[in-house]
Amino acid sequence: MPMGTRHGYSRDMRRIERLINLIAALLDTTRALTAEQIRSRIAGYDQESFEAFRRAFERDKEALRAMGIPLELSKSDPFVDQEDAYSIPKARYYLPQLDFDPDEVAALKIAAEILLGAGEHASAALLKLSIDSPSAPTPAPRIVWGANLAAEQPLLGRMYAALIERHPVTFRYHTAAGESSLRTVRPYRLLHRNGHWYVVGFDPDRSAIRAFRVSRIDAVIDVGTDDYEIPEDFDAGAHLGEAWAIGDEPHTATVRFDQTMRWWAEQNMPDCVVREAPDGALELELPVGNEDALISWAIGFGSAVEIIKPETARARLVEHIRPLLEAAP
Amino acid sequence: MAEVASGRLGTRLGRILLLLPYAIKHPGVSIGELSERFGVTTRDLLEDFRLVYLCGLPGYGPGDLIDVTLEEDAVYVSMADYFGSPLRLTAAEALALYSGGAAVAALPGMEEADALRRALAKLGGALGASGTDGDDSGIEVKLAHGPAEHMEILQRALGEGKRVSLEYFSASRGALTSRVADPWGLVATLGRWYLIAFDHLSEDERMFRIDRIKSAALLDERANVPDDFDPERYKAAFVEREKQARLILEISPEASGWFRESYPALGARGLADGWTRVEMASGGEAWAATLVLRLGKDVRSVRPETVMTAARTLGAAMVSAHTS
Repeated sequence: MPMGTRHGYSRDMRRIERLINLIAALLDTTRALTAEQIRSRIAGYDQESFEAFRRAFERDKEALRAMGIPLELSKSDPFVDQEDAYSIPKARYYLPQLDFDPDEVAALKIAAEILLGAGEHASAALLKLSIDSPSAPTPAPRIVWGANLAAEQPLLGRMYAALIERHPVTFRYHTAAGESSLRTVRPYRLLHRNGHWYVVGFDPDRSAIRAFRVSRIDAVIDVGTDDYEIPEDFDAGAHLGEAWAIGDEPHTATVRFDQTMRWWAEQNMPDCVVREAPDGALELELPVGNEDALISWAIGFGSAVEIIKPETARARLVEHIRPLLEAAP
Repeated sequence: MAEVASGRLGTRLGRILLLLPYAIKHPGVSIGELSERFGVTTRDLLEDFRLVYLCGLPGYGPGDLIDVTLEEDAVYVSMADYFGSPLRLTAAEALALYSGGAAVAALPGMEEADALRRALAKLGGALGASGTDGDDSGIEVKLAHGPAEHMEILQRALGEGKRVSLEYFSASRGALTSRVADPWGLVATLGRWYLIAFDHLSEDERMFRIDRIKSAALLDERANVPDDFDPERYKAAFVEREKQARLILEISPEASGWFRESYPALGARGLADGWTRVEMASGGEAWAATLVLRLGKDVRSVRPETVMTAARTLGAAMVSAHTS
């Protein structure tokens, strides 16, 4: 093949070459390599001073981590105090053999193509997973669709990495009202619901399960190194339902859908329907933890929905709307 | 610092780390196939291989360097067994593909749902790094799609290029409507599925919330579908139109946080007393009236005045229903 000379070879290309050499050496070596060994053995680390080498090596380590390449530190010999040698463990680098059937690869392709926003990540994943499958002809276009799952938020990937590794995360979080605080969670699940991603897990400061909206996380402050276990029967949905269901002391509310909108309740909330009124209206019982959210939801249906019980929610709805009726036009 | 992973460099390095295992596993693969599969030009590919040719293991003698041979159009890579498998998925890659798959697999009427569920189970099982149990990916995706039969009818209509008739609860009109529509595609956003279609009632394109369709029926008429239909345009569940009505509101400091999170604004300006003046596209008078009622004491100076009048009428009816 035509080989170029190194003239005009850009810095970028030289850096990629060095990184490939570094990955190759650290993957292939049976003994972890110290920084000094890396400097003297691996091509590309010909910086004049050790300080310049150290800076280049630090940048390279960061680049590997950012790409998800596992870099492990260990002791170069049992008699040194510090972990001073680097390797890339094969078991953590290589994608396990998953043996997808052809129809499974085709189905994953649909999944990757549907994404609006995080498509590049999904395509990269698909290319890795389908490495054994020869290129199949692209299936004829069928239904055109797309899904915006807001999966491209960078903090979502960090939360998921912590969940996979079972490491607790401390982060700065703000509430809808704008109050900011430091929170910690042991992530049990990532849930996409109502168009938002939530991390649901155990909050050691509150000693309780909490759900945090990922878009309200301002910054990850720390990812711990201690492990935890996820309870086997953990049901994330039980901690994160409709907005009106979330709250500290859930109680039952009764709402009535009149004849014009009862079909909506029958189609979308069949499990909540309890009785039919003589006038054709339909009554539903809902677990409610947040009456304000219930009121906001009910207003969305206009006069087709009436809150029957509890009395406090009825009064609160009236109190909520009345100032608008009284205000000067 | 993460410029390598996110920028041009990282794209190239990531591609090379994928290109090598593929070429090793498929000796003699053509440049043309690689170019199509990885979505890169022949020129870039040749440059990738030229770069790899200079790399290898310490020593860097003939027995240490990666061997790349190009015969006619066929590529052979050897002496690089350590690059024989691709790198594991990153958390972001796994999450993107898994969540896309979960969204599709939960869709009623999907032929491929079974294959997809099997694939996701394998994928989920491979995601855990330490002590993960079974096929638990730790990811759940919930998208509202209304009754299964509606989704099935809409998918059939889209597949066959047929028109549909819909009974639809229109929030902008605040009423159930009957309409004929030419389906263009399905888009999920804000946690629910929408049908994008040309609506013969308003004679314009519309996003229909599928959970608000009361009934759907296939018509024996061909639908007109634009050649350049692009789901990307409907990503935010909001399509700016010419002549779209505007709504102007002033929002209290207490509510401005969640309001900003929940509704796209065309413009916002802080006022001297801490309130925010927001200009947004109106979803119709009935819709705007319920928005005003939701805001309660946290809204003032609503324009146009007709929206305020509609909100007061609806509000008075709701107050009376809840006080009797």
